[in-house]
Amino acid sequence: MALVELSSVTYTYPTTDKPALKDINLKVEQGEFLAIVGSNEAGKSTLCYTISGFIPHFFHGDLVGEVQVAGLNLEESKLNEWVLNVGLVFQNPFNQISGSKFTVFEEIAFGLENLGVKRSEMIERVERAMELTGISDLADRSPYSLSGGQQQKVALTSILVMEPQVFVLDEPTSQLDPIGAREVFEVIKEMSRAGITVIMAEHKIEWVAEFADRVIAMHDGQIIIEGSPQEVLTSPLLPEHGIGTSRYTQAAKQARTEGLFSETTPLPVTLDQAVAGFSGGNHED
Amino acid sequence: MHQKLSFYVDRDSFLHHLNPLTKLTLVLTLVILSFLGLSYWLPTIIFLFIIIPLSFLGKVAQEFFNATVKLLLPVVGFLFVMQAFFHPDGTQVIFSIWIFDVTVESLSFAYLTASRILTMVASFLILLLTTHPSDLMSDLTRRGVSGNLSYVITSTLQIIPQMQVKAGTIIDAQQSRGLETTGNVFNRVKAVVPLVGPLVFGSLVEVEERAIAIEARAFTAPLKKTSLREIPDRAAERAARWIFIGVIIIAIGLRIWLL
Repeated sequence: MALVELSSVTYTYPTTDKPALKDINLKVEQGEFLAIVGSNEAGKSTLCYTISGFIPHFFHGDLVGEVQVAGLNLEESKLNEWVLNVGLVFQNPFNQISGSKFTVFEEIAFGLENLGVKRSEMIERVERAMELTGISDLADRSPYSLSGGQQQKVALTSILVMEPQVFVLDEPTSQLDPIGAREVFEVIKEMSRAGITVIMAEHKIEWVAEFADRVIAMHDGQIIIEGSPQEVLTSPLLPEHGIGTSRYTQAAKQARTEGLFSETTPLPVTLDQAVAGFSGGNHED
Repeated sequence: MHQKLSFYVDRDSFLHHLNPLTKLTLVLTLVILSFLGLSYWLPTIIFLFIIIPLSFLGKVAQEFFNATVKLLLPVVGFLFVMQAFFHPDGTQVIFSIWIFDVTVESLSFAYLTASRILTMVASFLILLLTTHPSDLMSDLTRRGVSGNLSYVITSTLQIIPQMQVKAGTIIDAQQSRGLETTGNVFNRVKAVVPLVGPLVFGSLVEVEERAIAIEARAFTAPLKKTSLREIPDRAAERAARWIFIGVIIIAIGLRIWLL
């Protein structure tokens, strides 16, 4: 059985009549990296909140269908149990700081304090998590004195340390500068390599193409296409629904009209594929 | 830049190493003694012979005097003047301004009130100067104070300076669009209005996100919380706390018996 499973999920926010998610069916396997792309208001954040349990337990509204993570049913679970299985990191790094802690080390330990973890084990787990995300040097800084990228890495580490089975990331880099975004992506990549299941909504197509095992594209609350990054990100459905494509795909498409890119070579989504495609080789590996 | 709204001064002193609850009990004892009215000069004596020496013992005398002179004395002084003029009773008039009389009674009452307030605030100041807010709240949470209350207190300490920074940014933004924020009182008051909207509504949006963030960190998990901070508590301190409580009970007993 898949680690995360959504069957015929439709959800409507309490203040509207129009559903934000329509008949979503989705399975995510243990250790998989799933990316969600889509234009604004496509339902990406709503899907993230649903998998992480804040819908329906925090935002209420009307949820139809079934959501299961690790064999547990969302509607039968309490939010404070659900968050132990599914960790959530969202856009604004500043608002994810608990605000009650004076150093980064204490901030990361906050979740473990709430879980009643013993002090010695707590210190060990915080140190290990900080090492994995590469922020050990920030331990004694105030969380408020950090840059956006550093704060977002602290937010990721704070969830990582609680060892959830699934990591849900809702556009974790959208409010960061390019350097901060790159650093945060590296951390996410590292976590995925360590075997953690990641579900990430993201606008930056080049990054999605490079990291994701599988991609779903959403529009108007529905999944319009699902498959490998190459398959989904080069699909003509994306531009039709206002979803950006990779600059490598765009370059190859343009080149094709001028006869510079082979008609039989699949369109590239990453730099490596583009290089292979333009040098005449086949990039299928 | 990052600032903090906390009086805490990180030093290595006897007071710093005491358990927060011991200090809190001591402070409450001093405050209760000052307010019980066992003796007219008691608040003054506590201030001069207990609180001032404590500030030296805690190696925070300089910060203590700074805060007392800059923050406390103006407030207490104002209180003294108000009480001296407006205390209703009193027959032995010393001098009068217009219809207000300063009498021996009003002066004596004003001094008592001022010395009580001074002693109370100064005692808490000693506690705050020598106790890290996280230590105080962790220790109280461990002893059964609600985690929500501790969270509200410690996060307020952190969030107020952040709001000041944000208010500064909003004022800069409004000024760059030509809003007058300097000059006479009327201009300054007018300038507050366009500040309040973004600051208050912005904060309300933040509250929802922060609620999600701490919920995601298992804040409401129905488990007994533990603390990263190790807070010492010795048998001698437990004994000291019982002694303080004994002093409070005896003082209250004396007050009732003497009345």
